[in-house]
Amino acid sequence: MSQAAALHPSRLEFSLEELLASPKLDTPLIAGGVRCHGGFDGGGHYVSPRTLWRNPAVKAWQEQHLATSPTPLVEIPKDAVPPHLPSVAQAKLLLKEGVREPMVRTLTEIAIIEGFGATIRELPVPPLSSFIREDVGGTALNHLTGGLFEAHARDEAGWGEEGGHKQMWEAARDLALSKPKVPGDILMAIMGRRGNGARAGRALPQFKEEVERVLGFMTNVLIVEVFAASTFQWAEDVLSDPEVSDAPKDAADMVRNIRADESPHVEYLRTALSEISARTLIGEDGSAHNGHEVVQGLIGRSLKAVMHQRGAARREQIHASIRASAKGIVKDVEDLIRRFDELETPWQPPARYAA
Amino acid sequence: MHPIARVLRTARTAVLAGRVYASYRVLRAVDRFRGADPKARDYSALNERNAWLIYRNAVTLRGLMIKLAQVIGTRSDVFPPEYVKILSQCHDAVPARSWAEILPVLEAELGAKAGEAFAQIEQTPVASASLAQVHRATLKTGESVAVKIQYPDIEDLVRTDLANTERLCRVYERFDPQPLALMPLVQEMQKHLALELDFRREVESGERISELFRDDPAVRVPKVYHDLSGGRVITMEFLGGMKPNDKAALVAAGIDPQDVVQELMRIYTTMILARGFFQADPHPGNIFVNPHRTADGRVIPRFVLLDFGLSKELPDGFGYGLFNLMFALMTTNEGAMVRAFIELGFETKTGDTGSLLALAKAMNRRSRGGQFRGEFTDEVTEDLFNTIRENPVVKVPSDFVLVGRAFSLLSGIAHTLGGQANVLNAMAPGSADTGRRAE
Repeated sequence: MSQAAALHPSRLEFSLEELLASPKLDTPLIAGGVRCHGGFDGGGHYVSPRTLWRNPAVKAWQEQHLATSPTPLVEIPKDAVPPHLPSVAQAKLLLKEGVREPMVRTLTEIAIIEGFGATIRELPVPPLSSFIREDVGGTALNHLTGGLFEAHARDEAGWGEEGGHKQMWEAARDLALSKPKVPGDILMAIMGRRGNGARAGRALPQFKEEVERVLGFMTNVLIVEVFAASTFQWAEDVLSDPEVSDAPKDAADMVRNIRADESPHVEYLRTALSEISARTLIGEDGSAHNGHEVVQGLIGRSLKAVMHQRGAARREQIHASIRASAKGIVKDVEDLIRRFDELETPWQPPARYAA
Repeated sequence: MHPIARVLRTARTAVLAGRVYASYRVLRAVDRFRGADPKARDYSALNERNAWLIYRNAVTLRGLMIKLAQVIGTRSDVFPPEYVKILSQCHDAVPARSWAEILPVLEAELGAKAGEAFAQIEQTPVASASLAQVHRATLKTGESVAVKIQYPDIEDLVRTDLANTERLCRVYERFDPQPLALMPLVQEMQKHLALELDFRREVESGERISELFRDDPAVRVPKVYHDLSGGRVITMEFLGGMKPNDKAALVAAGIDPQDVVQELMRIYTTMILARGFFQADPHPGNIFVNPHRTADGRVIPRFVLLDFGLSKELPDGFGYGLFNLMFALMTTNEGAMVRAFIELGFETKTGDTGSLLALAKAMNRRSRGGQFRGEFTDEVTEDLFNTIRENPVVKVPSDFVLVGRAFSLLSGIAHTLGGQANVLNAMAPGSADTGRRAE
């Protein structure tokens, strides 16, 4: 039992300072000379930052939800999570052939996109009573702007002198690939990533735009966090292989640490969305809407969009990166691409999410 | 330039600086003598008088003085409104040279009489700035064009001003006990101004920027007529628009000024961070804004970028380093800021990173008490340079100075419009595609 839970096992209200408080550490986490958040307890186990009260708080809110609501906690179906592209075998093939750039690019992109997770603290949340009919006291929902979003943001982008996941992913990359040169066009690849060519239509036109934005953002972030599980597994498998990684233990440990930190994010988001599911939402015209239906509709819509964004475009980007970087390293670049493609993990979105 | 004229030019600049400085010191001394608080005094009349004094000197001396006045005229966040209002005229309303003075440059560059090259050319310019003035004309084929013609004596003026600046820097470095290494910056400026005077390079730069935004309808660069352009003349498609800091005009056209601020930040972060090549002189005279109505009835801003004389190619990796610095600043991560400073080439006197950490903390301290808002506040660039001065940071990469200046000019526009750009949104995944998606 954590220090906080031992003191207050049944509390449901927490201050911002409490939700941002970290457990006492024995040793800080320093990776490749970078002081990162989190650290190790006396037993040498990794301890995530800002979890002194946050973890027991989320657990208490989940128990409260399950005890008072007929709806279970929101789940993102596991079969909706596509395998990572490139696959473990594909990444190892490239690294063994000495073609490191696609891997450097992938890890740097993960780092940057993780860092942008900090924008969650900017999300304007309208007064909950303006769109939720029932009381929200003692819920995760009631603590989103009271510490949960801020803790999430600090975890992703770092805070003060401590690095966050952005810096930890960069450290994992630099450890495994001996501080490689980052491709000069990496930001163009990210900033110029094509959208769908038009402004997406309203998902929840029955609600005010700011309500739709909050619900949509939380749903998307939850899906991204759940999908990230396959990225963690992939990175751990690749970076722990001494045949392709220059620091198999340290680099893989770093990915495990990030993975441990992400768990509270998934848990608080699914808790808050579950709490919404169990309540009645108020539309712009005052109409009542079943929270469960709204949340499930959003999840389905977001899953469909995210699943169909992947695949072909990503494959093309990796091919381009191989073509740009393998010349002079391998004799036959097109043959390498052919062998690379053969190692892709086949996957089709479940039929219920067909476009 | 005749040596006597050069000495007079130097003396005139020194006297101007002395007069402006002394005018404030004297009033403050008088107030203190009378027991009054100098801070309580209303300086607007004196500001206005001094601004006119600087303006008159700038338009007489031209050259670098106009450049300096242009910067002051943009920084409403730093300088009093009287200075901004009066000196902003230097963006594109410097008193023009006569047609008789300009015509020989045009005809020498075109190798033809003006009447042979154009169906018609207006003798009164539509704009005049630091290095050149622009005349409206019509091609024989009927297209309306803008003809940018360099002032005949500008090269000489600029060379003299640069030599004066170099001398002043040497004096500063000799007498300041802890001087900033300004000489590399002056040398960088010398290099840039030499390039700015070559209009062929400006044309190449403009076409490169146009190519960068080929798929982005939010940005347009005027098409150049190469056969009517040369080293001191550019003939280009005539495009108009509102100034980006003309809030009343923007609002009247149905454009939300905040959209202008955010879009400009996106356009510049795309050029600087992602593309590594940018138009480094975004003062309001070099940008036009036009309204565009989307299919769903919204009015969004579209931009015309002008004047690519000061365009800069950034070294490989610089954009990524700068991105890391800006990202760390916006997410209040001082440790990451220090690493980014080092990556970008900042150096401290002792090699100790303590001063860089102090610099990072100072910048964060001022960004709303450490409370993250993701906004590029007006103070950020100013704070950076102030803090660099207060700390023994001896090497600031020259590319950083040029980028910092561009962001300063943009934050000046933002301040005038009463808006703030969210830098994180401007840098976010997919942001470079925003112009197309806005359709």
